[in-house]
Amino acid sequence: MAHPILAGNSGEKHLLLGNEAIVRGALEAGVNVVTCYPGTPSSEVPDTFHRLKDGSYYFEYSVNEKVAMEVAAGAALGGALTLVTMKHVGVNVAADPLLTMTYTGLPGGLVLLSADDPGCHSSQNEQDNRYYARMANMPCFEPSTAQEAKDMAREALLLARKTQQPVMLRTTTRVNHLRGPVVFDERPKPAEIVEFARNVRRFVPVPAVARARHVELAKAMENIREVAENSPWNTVRGTGRVGIIASGIARSYLADVLAEQGWEDKVSVLDLGMSWPLPLALIEDFLRNVTKVIVIEELEPLLEKDIRALVQERGLGLQVYGKGEYLTIQGEYTTTAIQMALAQHLEAEPVSPVCFEGDADLPVRPPNLCAGCSHRAVYYVVRQIFGDDAYYSSDIGCYTLGLLPPLRMADFLFCMGSSVSSGTGFARSSGKDVVAFIGDSTFFHSGITGLVNAVFNKHDVLVVVLDNGTTAMTGHQLNPGVDAKVLGDACVHLDIESIVRGCGVTEVAKVKPFNLKATTKVFEEMKAKSGVRVIITEEPCILYARRAFKLVRPQAAYVAEQGPETDRVLNDFACPAFYRDDTGVQVDESLCSGCMVCMQISKTFKARKRSA
Amino acid sequence: MDRIRIFMTGVGGQGTLTATTLFARAALEQGLDVVSGEIHGMAQRGGVVESTVLLGGWKSPKISHGEADIVLGFEPLETLRALPYLAKGGSVISNTEPLPPVGVSCGRESYPSMEHISERVKGCSAKCWFLPCRTLGVQAGSVQAGNIVLLGALCASGLSPFGPQALETAIRKYLKPSLVDMNLKAVELGVQALAG
Repeated sequence: MAHPILAGNSGEKHLLLGNEAIVRGALEAGVNVVTCYPGTPSSEVPDTFHRLKDGSYYFEYSVNEKVAMEVAAGAALGGALTLVTMKHVGVNVAADPLLTMTYTGLPGGLVLLSADDPGCHSSQNEQDNRYYARMANMPCFEPSTAQEAKDMAREALLLARKTQQPVMLRTTTRVNHLRGPVVFDERPKPAEIVEFARNVRRFVPVPAVARARHVELAKAMENIREVAENSPWNTVRGTGRVGIIASGIARSYLADVLAEQGWEDKVSVLDLGMSWPLPLALIEDFLRNVTKVIVIEELEPLLEKDIRALVQERGLGLQVYGKGEYLTIQGEYTTTAIQMALAQHLEAEPVSPVCFEGDADLPVRPPNLCAGCSHRAVYYVVRQIFGDDAYYSSDIGCYTLGLLPPLRMADFLFCMGSSVSSGTGFARSSGKDVVAFIGDSTFFHSGITGLVNAVFNKHDVLVVVLDNGTTAMTGHQLNPGVDAKVLGDACVHLDIESIVRGCGVTEVAKVKPFNLKATTKVFEEMKAKSGVRVIITEEPCILYARRAFKLVRPQAAYVAEQGPETDRVLNDFACPAFYRDDTGVQVDESLCSGCMVCMQISKTFKARKRSA
Repeated sequence: MDRIRIFMTGVGGQGTLTATTLFARAALEQGLDVVSGEIHGMAQRGGVVESTVLLGGWKSPKISHGEADIVLGFEPLETLRALPYLAKGGSVISNTEPLPPVGVSCGRESYPSMEHISERVKGCSAKCWFLPCRTLGVQAGSVQAGNIVLLGALCASGLSPFGPQALETAIRKYLKPSLVDMNLKAVELGVQALAG
């Protein structure tokens, strides 16, 4: 039976992840093309499209966000109703095409899902991509529930098709990863492909064209402002004299606070679900009926500043409150923060319901390289050989988790693909040895360009491509390096070694990291050389190998002999399957994957058949 | 019905999120208003997993400190860590069998004693229960079934607006057929553990 997201009928109600709801919404708009680069918290959107592929749409994992955006833009120019998905920092990568495609407009219709991450749950920063909606001139929808995620995804696509202007669907982690009931509407046939009409004066933005298109873009946004003025997502409720304007998931927190505290009668609320372009008339009307206004939005004070400007421009004499002691520009909001902030304005007593403050100094539980992860073996060898003499340039992926002791394999990191290029810059200026680590997916994403630059400019760096055969961190998505058998008919496997050599690197070696002796030898040889050197370490991600290749290793490690040598392995290798009890170091057989690296480090570890 | 907020916490790989979704689906099947949330970016790699189920008409999927009517702990240290989320008058159901974090495994940090954990839990909860989920999971057929043992206990505790039967219905409907019997057994063991 087909999955309900594909086959569910109008009126059916299903519990969906916010990201799954976006998929259903896109299908209800008749989406034709979906491109992406996976990134938490967006990944389940493309993963769901990939899993459910039924021939009604084209889907691809693109090599990076810029490419995803360009393929999507081309598809939308060619007449397809198109969705392109990425996390917030991915939009930085895609910003170049994005900021011009709004000038040309895209007749087929394009929606960009930007999944922001307030609180940095799994990201290197917490930038607010509503800035991009403003900078690129894109209408912006901000859902706050699973139902809205579905409905707004559909509405955003339909608006993009109708106006030919790219639209942003901006979510945050809490929306992507909430689950709630979603009532379905009809799923129509895929949208009609719009015939492309050649128009050089629109689609080729040489300076003369771009200047004219900038004027057209401003007109288009003014027209869409009318849509926002009348949007069912922008609504006023309540008749209280204290006004609140809220956007995004903060709308949900606010609704819960008002209901729980019984403050609904004291306030008027303007919900902004379609938050750009601003519905200026609606906001002005709202402001004229309240004595003061509190703006509740996570991250940057964008609405707050716009509303302050509007108050000044229209000569409205009322105070605007926004960012402050409780409603900060950092991190996620909470019901408590909103309650505390509102209490100040409603002359109410804030309630602190906390009954236990928590124990100090509990053992932390940082995310860790898995038991049986081949990256640990590589890092162990590198630490043995280079120690603190080299500096370690890291990148975005599971392998970043090697930053923790005892491996300590990350001294700096900026963004996807930066390890090679920033590693070379660091080596050039500091004169230090640099070992740069990059994963297979990240290599294809934007590591290649750094490598080309390193060869061209005669830099000095040892690059380690940690090839585990999948995009592991975000959930095992396809990339061009994935095993040809797994890729299927629609994709072609690309060989990293050939690419590295093709980029002009002459010192290239490939090694299986679970062979510690061979790995050590390769690293020692490369250490003795200079210039751009690349070692490719090849071993499938253990979780992926279990799933994709049904890998089961019949043997597990155990400790045959206790003593200082065994303790050294525990302390230096620190596999998560190891633990210490009253008798010494032990291996948890249920966690041990049977990689057998520990017994190559020390004879005190041995293998035996699994007990069950 | 009363509005209920349930905070669930465990360690990556324990099936905390599977249990959360199953419970939320069971609630929806019972016609309850439900919203659920999860934070799991890097959790698969042995980190803490936190998830929520809010029943009865909440909009937000998030639970702040002092707001949880129930804390469901899939791992005892994580139960202790999550206690600030518990509301006054709230209840706790927790696994008693530790998964030591790496600092503890290497002997750098020490794991709090079960006596300390249960004392803390008793000190701030109206009702609390402790059960050996890993052992009971193995008894049901697999370590992984330990998560469903805990859900079974929750449904039998009287704190949940629906009982074990609703959970069993959801298991039959939403889990792979090959896993159904083992998880029904897990529910039964959770229910028994709570009664005993």
